[in-house]
Amino acid sequence: MQATVIYEDGDHRWIMFGRDPNKSEGIIDTNQYLIQSGDQAILLDPGGIELFAPMLSAVLKFVPTEKITHLFASHQDPDIISSLGLWDQALPNAKLYSPWLWESFIRHFGMERIEFCAIPDEGQTISLGRIQLQFMPAHYLHSPGNFHVYDPKAKILMSGEIGGYIENNEASLYVDNMTSHMQKMRKFHQRWLPSNEAKQDWIRRVRQLDVDIMAPQHGCLFQNQQVSEFLNWLEELPVGIAVR
Amino acid sequence: MATPIFVTAASIAAELHQAMLEAKGLALTAKNARALAVRAGSKTVGFKAITHFIDELASDIIRQSQYINGVSEKLSQHAVSLWRSDTAARKFEWLESQKLPHGDSLYDAMHNCYSEREKLSLMLSRGLRELEAQLEEGDKHIRTANLIATSSKVEASSAGDFRAQLEVIAQNITTTANQIRQHLTNARRLLNQKHS
Ligand SMILES: [Fe+2]
Ligand SMILES: [Fe+2]
Repeated sequence: MQATVIYEDGDHRWIMFGRDPNKSEGIIDTNQYLIQSGDQAILLDPGGIELFAPMLSAVLKFVPTEKITHLFASHQDPDIISSLGLWDQALPNAKLYSPWLWESFIRHFGMERIEFCAIPDEGQTISLGRIQLQFMPAHYLHSPGNFHVYDPKAKILMSGEIGGYIENNEASLYVDNMTSHMQKMRKFHQRWLPSNEAKQDWIRRVRQLDVDIMAPQHGCLFQNQQVSEFLNWLEELPVGIAVR
Repeated sequence: MATPIFVTAASIAAELHQAMLEAKGLALTAKNARALAVRAGSKTVGFKAITHFIDELASDIIRQSQYINGVSEKLSQHAVSLWRSDTAARKFEWLESQKLPHGDSLYDAMHNCYSEREKLSLMLSRGLRELEAQLEEGDKHIRTANLIATSSKVEASSAGDFRAQLEVIAQNITTTANQIRQHLTNARRLLNQKHS
């Protein structure tokens, strides 16, 4: 599992985990993120059960288990949070923030020690160490109960499936060619996003944010003007195409 | 709450990763010291000789830390698999106790699962023993590092104009050796704690 620090200011850090060269074939590659501030840390979309052991090893190089105080699951999918039952064994004092809609489903992954904190539909702001994090509504993108994470200080938006694309292990960290990348992302977004209305509403809200890095759960990250280029592209893209 | 072995093993891997980073710093110190000793000429011949030892020691520590790191990461993976097969095995045991009409059809799956659990648990105890032996080996490196630190202090004191600079380097070696020792101690303490 490779770890890359994508933002650092004192003890406030964002670390991206992914591109695991030892990942077994047939499992979709995912990006996991760890945000640290002060004595607390949150793991965003900690990943699938098959990824748990390499993730744990990678994460503990940065922070001990007792300081992983928060988990976040943007939605209910197995590549997002099927590792929950194992994190539940590993973390002595953690809370899981996840859409209220999915609580009784996510509990099927096994959760005895971790406390479930249901995020209301309108979103929520939490404190982590010395910073604030916003859980921003992203319903129907693709899951009907879904949130992204915005860090106004780091100016990073963790955008879940949005901007995602299934990359191989050798992919660069950031998008290097927007034109070819848009081609690659096209099918994924058209098929996975069900609602044009939800998509436009999300774009409108993201345009109001100051975003230096947009960090999806699959594939390459977007930086600076690539973010607005992405929003313009997505705005024009019809989604929900499986219904004919 | 007792710590699961997979957490302990991953924490040990993390300690050894830190030790490896320190050792890389030590290799850099050795390089700087050699450059300085070369410039200083005849007064620092002794110090120059020591830099070769530091260099060798640093690469030994790097190699060994990487090895232990690998062993403990593997161990952590095995412990996760063991936890999973143990969870399944306990469910099978419960099913077995239910004396179900078609219970026999589970026989193969059940026994595969039990033997998998057995195999993993053996692998785990073997791995833990190896880890212990490797950490002891690491202590030898620390003793060497302390010897080198002492001799470099002695050599620094007779280096004339370069004395101050070499003393900084000697101090650097001592500090790094202490940090590496701390990581090894932490790893050993983790290994000895209570597991679930
Ligand atoms: Fe998903
Ligand atoms: Fe996904």
